[in-house]
Amino acid sequence: MDGFTVTIWVVRILFLVLLYVFLFGIARALLRDLRAASREPTVELGRLVVVASPAGEPAAGTTLPLDAITTLGRDVNNAIVVDDEFVSAEHAVLTFRGRTWYVEDLGSTNGTFVNGSPVDSVAPLGYGDEIQLGQVRLRLDRVRR
Amino acid sequence: MDRRPVSRSIAQVGLALTIAFGILAGWAGYWQVFRSPDLSNAADNPAVIAAARDVVRGKILDRDGKVLATTKRDDNGDPYRVYPERSVSAVVGYASRKFGTAGLERAYAAQLIGVSDPDPIRNLLKKFETNPTDPQALTLSLSLALQKAAVRGLGDDKGAVVMLDPRTGEVLVLASTPTFDASAITNPATEDQGFAAVRDAASQPLLNRATQGRYVPGSVFKIVTAIAALGSGAIDASTTYPNQAKAERDGLVVDGFRIREHPGVPARTLDLAHATEVSSNIFFALTGLKTGGANLADYAAKLGFAGDVGFDLPVAASQVTNGSGKQPGGFVDDVELANASYGQAETFVTPFQMALVAATVANGGELMRPHLVTALTGRSGTRTVSPEPLRRVISQEAAAAINAAMVRAVEGTLGRQFTPGAAVPGITTAGKSGTAELGGSGEPHSWFIGFAPANDPQIAIAVLVERGGRGAQRAVPLAGSLLKTYFDTVAK
Amino acid sequence: MSNAAPATLTLPRILGPIRPRPRWREARLLAVVAVTILVGSVSLALAQRAPDAPPGGLEPAEPFHLAVYVGVLLLAHVAQVLAGRRTDQVLLPAVGLLGGISLLLMERLPQNLVIQTIGKTDLGLADVQLVWLVLSIGLATTLAIVVRSDRWLRMYKYTWAATGVALLLLTFVLGTEINGQRLTLSFGPVSGQPSELLKVILVVFLAGYLSENRSLLVEQSTRVGPISLPPVPYLAPMVAMWAIALGIVVVQRDLGAALLFFAVFLLLLYTATGRAGYVVLGLILFILGAFVMYQVVDHVRTRVDIWLDPFADPSGAGYQVVQSLYAFARGGLIGTGLGAGLPLVSGRLPIPAIQTDFPLAALGEELGLVGIMAILGIYLVVIERGLRIGAAARDDFRALLASGLALVVGVQAFIIAAGNLKLIPLTGITLPFISYGGSSLLVNGIVVGLLLALSDKGVEPPPPPRQPGRLARLARRGGG
Repeated sequence: MDGFTVTIWVVRILFLVLLYVFLFGIARALLRDLRAASREPTVELGRLVVVASPAGEPAAGTTLPLDAITTLGRDVNNAIVVDDEFVSAEHAVLTFRGRTWYVEDLGSTNGTFVNGSPVDSVAPLGYGDEIQLGQVRLRLDRVRR
Repeated sequence: MDRRPVSRSIAQVGLALTIAFGILAGWAGYWQVFRSPDLSNAADNPAVIAAARDVVRGKILDRDGKVLATTKRDDNGDPYRVYPERSVSAVVGYASRKFGTAGLERAYAAQLIGVSDPDPIRNLLKKFETNPTDPQALTLSLSLALQKAAVRGLGDDKGAVVMLDPRTGEVLVLASTPTFDASAITNPATEDQGFAAVRDAASQPLLNRATQGRYVPGSVFKIVTAIAALGSGAIDASTTYPNQAKAERDGLVVDGFRIREHPGVPARTLDLAHATEVSSNIFFALTGLKTGGANLADYAAKLGFAGDVGFDLPVAASQVTNGSGKQPGGFVDDVELANASYGQAETFVTPFQMALVAATVANGGELMRPHLVTALTGRSGTRTVSPEPLRRVISQEAAAAINAAMVRAVEGTLGRQFTPGAAVPGITTAGKSGTAELGGSGEPHSWFIGFAPANDPQIAIAVLVERGGRGAQRAVPLAGSLLKTYFDTVAK
Repeated sequence: MSNAAPATLTLPRILGPIRPRPRWREARLLAVVAVTILVGSVSLALAQRAPDAPPGGLEPAEPFHLAVYVGVLLLAHVAQVLAGRRTDQVLLPAVGLLGGISLLLMERLPQNLVIQTIGKTDLGLADVQLVWLVLSIGLATTLAIVVRSDRWLRMYKYTWAATGVALLLLTFVLGTEINGQRLTLSFGPVSGQPSELLKVILVVFLAGYLSENRSLLVEQSTRVGPISLPPVPYLAPMVAMWAIALGIVVVQRDLGAALLFFAVFLLLLYTATGRAGYVVLGLILFILGAFVMYQVVDHVRTRVDIWLDPFADPSGAGYQVVQSLYAFARGGLIGTGLGAGLPLVSGRLPIPAIQTDFPLAALGEELGLVGIMAILGIYLVVIERGLRIGAAARDDFRALLASGLALVVGVQAFIIAAGNLKLIPLTGITLPFISYGGSSLLVNGIVVGLLLALSDKGVEPPPPPRQPGRLARLARRGGG
């Protein structure tokens, strides 16, 4: 085997090896993700029921699913789009930490209210509590399995 | 809304796709690793064609090392093939730069050029060498001396001779006449005229009559009928037919068609051995009807009638019927079955196939894979091809019964009259002659198949002379003389 | 209005605020991709070096192509970093690697297979493919950054369906015929294959339709004996889908597209409803249809016959498949090396249409089984990421849309790869991101862009609210 043949085959094999380096790079992270996902229960622990919605978006009476982090606001990027003229583009965010739900106001113009009381920055939210953004009222319900 | 089922379905779909891709990867492995050797050796594989242009092909030698194909260089230094022996033209073929390949030059193109190694590991390592081709030389089981004798014996007639060792399947003679001048085709100075002469000749010298010629077999087919009858248990060695004597005299009526015996057959009851000795059409017609079309077709398939015997050269399929009928086996009616049983109607066989029939009986009912190439020798060493049984067609007892019958046909008192000249002095010879009527004017084909010595067969033979007249006229004496030559020279 | 966001540049609203967020995983993977393509390019250059040329160093073939391509990947990465959306970080590198392999393959093939003249310059095969790759990656990145809402896809599903059908009919009627197939629409110098876009439109429509009617399809059913079928009004679209597929086969002679549409449809139906019965029904319809097509339609019969035994006619109808298998066989375990395979037959490549229909065979020969398995692995990665985006999606529409898009790429790759390998009959569809073809690359770029947009994990979780201390709580309660 002469030098040139050695070189060219080393390069060729290196190319094939690199393809697998790429795949393994992903596989390692993939397994990590899978293990993390299986540890976290993907269980829904709450939903919002629209109690009142004069503008009709979202429609009154609908049930909205909740993620661990759910944003609310007028902007279309939000998880829950609330199209009311008194609602800011990015109005509030609902988060589930540990065992409790929290609602956080994101500096909205007209504020966020829980059962009528204004939210300072972060407030805990229990099942059955009502939050209000602009003219829209939403109630946090438990999900019955 | 319950979203979980969607993610579960998605996971299942993902799993299904992963399995599908896994199957795809396995399938790719099948073609890239498992089938790679035989695909890489195919004559129309571009790698083989590309290599063929520049590589010096390996030599082809007969069983004694005599050169049948070698390479010379022309004025430009480019290699071309040379074939010193014309008698093996049908077997060896040619490898021409302009006109492609034929014969063994075609079938073993990849090995002769040496593009791929049969050993997969060495094949892999071959990639790393600067000179990756390893042309192999082929050693054949062919005997040049016998082959020459066969071609000489056929003379100006068109015909074929096949001789093989029934114990191993090695082919010693595969002759087809007329032969042609392969060197004229491959020599750059003469290639155009050489090829035109061969291609346009009316006698079709490029046709390998032994493996590709399909002929009406006549009485040699009776051995096939006997194999089917004994193998399926329809008859045994002592079966006789009550109406035989009468039918010999007046003819056998099958569905309104009268089958007449040929002259010389005594009008009496015959068993298998005697019927073979006198070549009774009536006996075999009755036997064929008793065996049934399905069994006949089935045993013919076992004998390799489809051409799928794993031979080094392509073999045309033989047939017992053209299969257009609705009766079992593809026969149209009993008349066709009866006529086919003694080798007429729509039966067509290659001389090579009939040699295999003789070899099967000779080898106690077991068919060995016929082969020409016994060894491949290259830079990396020699690889030998071992004999390999193909399948058992009939039991030893059945084969022994047919063996005895065929001995009677050559050595029996009556038999000697039908097959004079077939017997080899001092050696018990078994065989069967055939006269294939073709209808109309013109001579019938002359056939003989046989083997010797009958008690411990070493050689089986099939001879066909186109339009050679009655079996006894041409095929029989030629077979006898070739068998004698074999025992005088080749057999030790 | 909103003052919570950090200082930003004011850009057109559609681009969104620039909130740079690092994407380390993507950067690492892209680095591996860049090095891989570089090494591949060097391997190609070494193979193409004339035997009597002076021994040079290790330089890549076509360094300009390499620089442009890696540059584009880098730009796409930087753009996403600047946009700061938490989108998937594996898709772009995976697709980038496939595109890189495609570029290497196109560089390796004779450049005169395709010549596009722009002004005074002639662009060869690799040049044109590079242009399309750049456009495709650019389109994908743009969509990844710009698409913030799925409303335009979700709301107008019947409009999308109508557009799709209109495109299909347009191609039936006005399409230019190439090799007996009416697949291309040409407007002046520009031509494209609408069937590529159709598959995306189909997925959008199906995602909308199935998500809307999901509960009905899952809970209700019509029973016909032991089999439960979807409720009759919903059975109609299924059968219509099947009929359209058959129509495509017969009229357009495009078996690949028909197979792809039908397979994606069945898989999405299963994903939405979870009922295996529907899939079984679909398969029965497929087998029936295939059987009838085989008997009645000539070109279907030819395709199936050469699938079953291509060696029966190795120089005629079966030539492509036979040569493809020869190529794979020549490759063996590790291949012949980039640029060293594909022996010429009378000065031409052994496999016709190699850059569009048989790129996998060429790669199989030059990269071997090891390379093929890696490439199949990359496709699986793309599918897996897409399906994962679907599984994690907020609602059914997004879940079905993402899964459907992933399936469209994955099933297409499977169909053509299996055809090359004679696992299923050969069809004339493209291998996503690897085959030559502008329409194919652009549409697949759209698919990846949409997947990236859908993968946005949204706003980062805020830090957990600080629990007021015991004293403060007591004080609050007291104060009230």
